[in-house]
Amino acid sequence: MEFSTQELIPVLPEITLLVMASVVLLVDLFAPGKERVGTYTTSMLALALTALVSVYSYQGEQLVFAGHHQSDGLSLVLKLAMVIAVAVVFLYGRGYLAVRGLLNGEFFTLSLFGLLGMMIIASAGSLLSLYLGLETLSLSLYALVGFDRRSVASSEAAIKYFILGALASGVLLYGISILYGVTGTIQTAAMQMEIQAVLTSAGQYQMLLGLGVVFVVVGAAFKLGAAPFHMWLPDIYEGSPTAVTNYLGTASKLAAIALVLRLFADVLQPLIHQWQPMLMLLAVASLAVGNIIAIAQTNFKRMLAYSAISHMGFVLLGVLVGTGAGYSASLFYMITYAITGLAAFGLIMLLSRLGFEAENLVDFKGLAQRSPLMGLVVLLVMFSMAGVPPTVGFFAKLAVIDAVIEQGFAWIAVVAVLFSVIGAFYYLRVVKLVFFDGVEDPSPLVSSWDERFVLVLNGLFVLVLGLFPGKLLEICNQVFTGL
Amino acid sequence: MLTEKILFYVFAAILIFAASMVVTVRHSVRAALFLVLAFFTAAGLWLMLHAEFLAIVLVLVYVGAVMVLFLFVVMSVDLDQGRLREGFGRHMPVGLLVAGVVIAEMVSILSIDQLAIVAPESATVAVNNVEAVGQLLYRQYIYPVEIASVILLVGIIAAISMTLRGRRQSRYIAPAEQLAANKRDRLRVVDLREPASTDSSAESKGDDN
Amino acid sequence: MVTLADFLVLSAILFAISALGIFINRKNLIVLLMCVELMLLAVNTNFLAFSYFLGDLHGQIFVFFVLTVAAAESSIGLAIIVLLMRNRGSINVQDIHELNG
Repeated sequence: MEFSTQELIPVLPEITLLVMASVVLLVDLFAPGKERVGTYTTSMLALALTALVSVYSYQGEQLVFAGHHQSDGLSLVLKLAMVIAVAVVFLYGRGYLAVRGLLNGEFFTLSLFGLLGMMIIASAGSLLSLYLGLETLSLSLYALVGFDRRSVASSEAAIKYFILGALASGVLLYGISILYGVTGTIQTAAMQMEIQAVLTSAGQYQMLLGLGVVFVVVGAAFKLGAAPFHMWLPDIYEGSPTAVTNYLGTASKLAAIALVLRLFADVLQPLIHQWQPMLMLLAVASLAVGNIIAIAQTNFKRMLAYSAISHMGFVLLGVLVGTGAGYSASLFYMITYAITGLAAFGLIMLLSRLGFEAENLVDFKGLAQRSPLMGLVVLLVMFSMAGVPPTVGFFAKLAVIDAVIEQGFAWIAVVAVLFSVIGAFYYLRVVKLVFFDGVEDPSPLVSSWDERFVLVLNGLFVLVLGLFPGKLLEICNQVFTGL
Repeated sequence: MLTEKILFYVFAAILIFAASMVVTVRHSVRAALFLVLAFFTAAGLWLMLHAEFLAIVLVLVYVGAVMVLFLFVVMSVDLDQGRLREGFGRHMPVGLLVAGVVIAEMVSILSIDQLAIVAPESATVAVNNVEAVGQLLYRQYIYPVEIASVILLVGIIAAISMTLRGRRQSRYIAPAEQLAANKRDRLRVVDLREPASTDSSAESKGDDN
Repeated sequence: MVTLADFLVLSAILFAISALGIFINRKNLIVLLMCVELMLLAVNTNFLAFSYFLGDLHGQIFVFFVLTVAAAESSIGLAIIVLLMRNRGSINVQDIHELNG
């Protein structure tokens, strides 16, 4: 097998990011300071360069490095979304961390390496690169969660996340080993063909494949935080510094959809009759657990964690349909959820100041009187999460339900709508606190103008995407027209 | 052929014994040592599977480095052994039951006739195992090798950043921070006055004290 | 003659023992880490068995990467344990109630 430099072009985004992350590591060493201006600027530059290179190096569908790296429309869209999400995370997180003396260079470098892992997942052409990308992301996340060295809650969250993450990797790998054993390959395309061949030949290997699928589904569900494998999620959300929670709750969710689509839409597509019922169970359980338990939460971060579980249920609904329409609906849902989530966590960070975390629901009381603009952002974000038109959350839910009904799963659509209505209760409760309750904490809001500006922009984006969802929907559809 | 079968069963028995000791033994150091035994036995089994290179790597990297790190942490971290295992037996019956069912199910699937294949006739290979693995690794698998290097780098950064106690950990006073602090940051005036109707009762309570 | 099924059953038993270990050893974090290592050993044995009986070297390569990742993973796990120990003076999981989960 001859190697040609042409093969490097599709991998350029990853190469750029890796080089720039290493540069950030060095810059941080030589440019210290409390505000970390040099590190921050270089990180943002790294993200901008990566985004540019992703767009300009894209040459259509390509499979390089002996099939381990696959670039297609899906990988391009996901990479861009991930890069933008991480940039916004940095923007919101910088001031928040600086005030707490937590703004180390490691936050930026580990986040960038985590992003590299996400990008590797997004363009994984074999189960090996999928696994390695997942581990690059996970290892960075374990360190990021435990990154507040002085906080007990942070290190406890890190150890919980670590144990469950390692267990999930083990289970997922066991499933992959069985799939490898039956098919004799680890390349996604070849494995899909082999599975097809096994299915048409009458034999007992089908049962073995089923065993592999069970392990893969359980491992993936752990990583996604879908019920009933969700126990770790609220603790991690609450325990980690909010800037890291933002990263976990938005950017790494994009990696989750990449993982699911690469596994189920690519490799396991022929086995849909086996994994469809399992995903159905996970989706309905996630919708139920997420929406019902969220009502009892008084901590905003925990509430968002349960809300994330329920949104994951919705995404799985789109995936289990098994059609191009379903996959693109899930992709659209996840991207718009990430945008909305960024604004939600950004709000917590902007309202917090030194020695005070605005993470309890009561801290939001009367926010509209303190700052009408922030109140408007809360309104838009909560409406979008609840799925109230004309925000984008409504169209995301509509697209998923549309795809579900099209395949004749009307009862699931009914269940999903029912739980969304229950979920709307706790989202609207936040809106009520913000607009109709008296101010409890009249201290003025301290935040820099650029953070406020981006937050308002972020909130308005939720609305604008809701008014004009056509373009993004079209992009998501184009990604899957080949299926 | 018979020796091979006997060897397999001896190794398998030792491996299962060592693994069960790891999960049940009371003392963490002993658990670590049983894990070393498990790794050695597994290396033996891997040799039977003609994975010479990986068997050596398992012994060198796992027994040589990772397990030493484990023992180092076990010994440097002061463990209260008695408390760590209290209530240990509580989950045991349920756990054993679940494990038994899982093993039975998996064995029933895995011992189907089609899997009772014997090893392919070991053709005389042109290159040894190390060379064959190396050829694959640095040609077809160069992309994963690069990712693995990133993973190791992330491991280094993460481990150092979490355990390093640099000057940030030392207690010092930042004059700039002290000067920048104002009353609003430190003091929040909360209105404790009761609503007008309960005003008098609150006052009488205060008198009692 | 040792068959593929023999090896698969062995690693299935190993996998179940390590899962059982994670279930019953919820108190001692270091033993939990060891159980995870044991689980990866089961996975690796599975890969190697398939690789040998398929006559295909790619399974061995996969194991090589799993070993690399597991080494990095356990170093991070031990770092977190040391960090937790410093912060709390105990690694008993029962004491972890800062987060009620």
